[in-house]
Amino acid sequence: MNHTATEYPIHARGLAKRFGSVQAVSCIDLDVAPGEALGLLGPNGAGKSTTLSMLMGLQHPDAGAAHVFGHPAGSEAARRLTGATPQASDFPDQLSPREILTYTAARYATVPQLDTLADRFGLGAIMDRRTAGFSGGELRRVSLALAFVGAPKLVFLDEPTTGLDSEAQDGFHAAARAYVAEGGALVLTSHHWDEIEAICDAIALIDRGETVLSGRIGEIRARASVHRLSFGLPEGYVPPEWTAAQHDGDSWHIETDKSDDVLRRLVQEDVPFADLTLRPIELRELIARIRQEETTP
Amino acid sequence: MTRYLIAECALNLRILFRQPGFWVPTVLFPAMLYSFFGANSGGGQWAANAMASFCVYAVLGVGFFQFGVSVAQDRESAFATWQRSLPGGIGVQWVARVVAALFFVTIAVVLVVVMALVLTDQRPGAAPLARLAVVCLASSVTAIFMGIALGSFTPARAAVPLANLIYLPLAYLGGLWVPPMFMPDAIAAISVWTPTRAMGELSWAAINGTGFETRYAVILLGWTAGAMALAGLAQLREGRRA
Ligand SMILES: Nc1ncnc2c1ncn2[C@@H]1O[C@H](COP(=O)(O)OP(=O)(O)O)[C@@H](O)[C@H]1O
Ligand SMILES: [Mg+2]
Repeated sequence: MNHTATEYPIHARGLAKRFGSVQAVSCIDLDVAPGEALGLLGPNGAGKSTTLSMLMGLQHPDAGAAHVFGHPAGSEAARRLTGATPQASDFPDQLSPREILTYTAARYATVPQLDTLADRFGLGAIMDRRTAGFSGGELRRVSLALAFVGAPKLVFLDEPTTGLDSEAQDGFHAAARAYVAEGGALVLTSHHWDEIEAICDAIALIDRGETVLSGRIGEIRARASVHRLSFGLPEGYVPPEWTAAQHDGDSWHIETDKSDDVLRRLVQEDVPFADLTLRPIELRELIARIRQEETTP
Repeated sequence: MTRYLIAECALNLRILFRQPGFWVPTVLFPAMLYSFFGANSGGGQWAANAMASFCVYAVLGVGFFQFGVSVAQDRESAFATWQRSLPGGIGVQWVARVVAALFFVTIAVVLVVVMALVLTDQRPGAAPLARLAVVCLASSVTAIFMGIALGSFTPARAAVPLANLIYLPLAYLGGLWVPPMFMPDAIAAISVWTPTRAMGELSWAAINGTGFETRYAVILLGWTAGAMALAGLAQLREGRRA
């Protein structure tokens, strides 16, 4: 076994999985470096959850292989190092979060840091109540705590903030960042770009069961540093044609990877702009641009 | 490992204890039915046999019925799936389930014996009771594996009716409600091959202090081996499907 394979929290190549006539995953390559947080993005049904199931060893891939810290996914050694949220929060009604958390910690042979978890995930008031009748958000918070209670080195989180109020979402973001800052690796699926940007340093975009784009967010941004200039113009005035500016009913916007030149020329041509702002375009827009450039030569 | 086993047992027992829907029918019913129908079946050997029969019925209720249903429900629960992603072997989980089942079997059987002491003038000695306990223990193993086998092949919603459909006729066929000597010939011919008849015969021999018949011990072993094989097959199938 080579050195990098052992060090890498996740190293997966060519994963494929079919359910009957549905090819859920056809070719997934993933790497997660030590201490890295990877965001898995993709539309509904793209194969994100199936990929996580294979990485957790809950499902056998039809093809390809996945290793967790160099151990085959799903092996005892791999499971000892990983934590995950349950797919649905159908805990036995008769148990309290404290009991479920204590049980889980016993399986990892660790001492549960119940106070820290209660604090991070807002379990204080519900720790000793039976989960029967918990709200969706309360169940979600228990699920999140369960992923971390075994002090794992790698955590899988499938749409972790679905059903959480914004306070609980912020709490989760802080907890995830703290975990990564302490050296933990993390894989997260989410539909919220701001959540991915808040927590992850790398992304993998999955579409119809394939990895279509992956990389570190910083590098993707550097690869195409596109900015958006937004400004207002006096009534009846339109920007010059070369700017290809778009109006959104409120102000004008120009997207460009040469923002300095554009701005200089606007000044030279005495365009009477007002309230000018200049900011990097959002990650989702950037990725849409990159994918468009790749598919339209 | 020990800590995991203790945690797993505590989890199982807590869930079952806090679920009156489980323990009222399986733990209290055998003693209740015995009080209604078994306790007035005359004296002497009849009374002793009736008590032993309801002990076996209690074993069957907890082991087969509840195990079958809970194993089927587990297969459809996301929590049980998630448990498979945790460290620690699956074997411990099974051991804990058996421990929890034996715990409830013990209560159910003890209740039947207590009702017999209260309602009848039987005073079985320590030796017959110990022999009966051994037969109940052996029968529990068979019943539990039969339950696992059933639960492994049925969807959760079908498990309850199907378990009833097997469990009640088995109790009748085994002669737990009507002594085998009163059975019509055709039924009696089937009866001797059922696991419940084997359990019944062994329990009657136990409480009466007569010798165990090898034939019934072998039949019980056969059913245990068959149920184990089915349960094992289901586990393999489960593994392949994933
Ligand atoms: N157990 C299963 N049986 C049949 N089809 C499945 C199963 N799990 C997932 N699928 C299908 O595989 C595809 C990918 O699903 P999934 O991995 O859940 O996508 P995502 O999490 O990206 O939304 C979907 O079309 C889904 O319906
Ligand atoms: Mg999903």
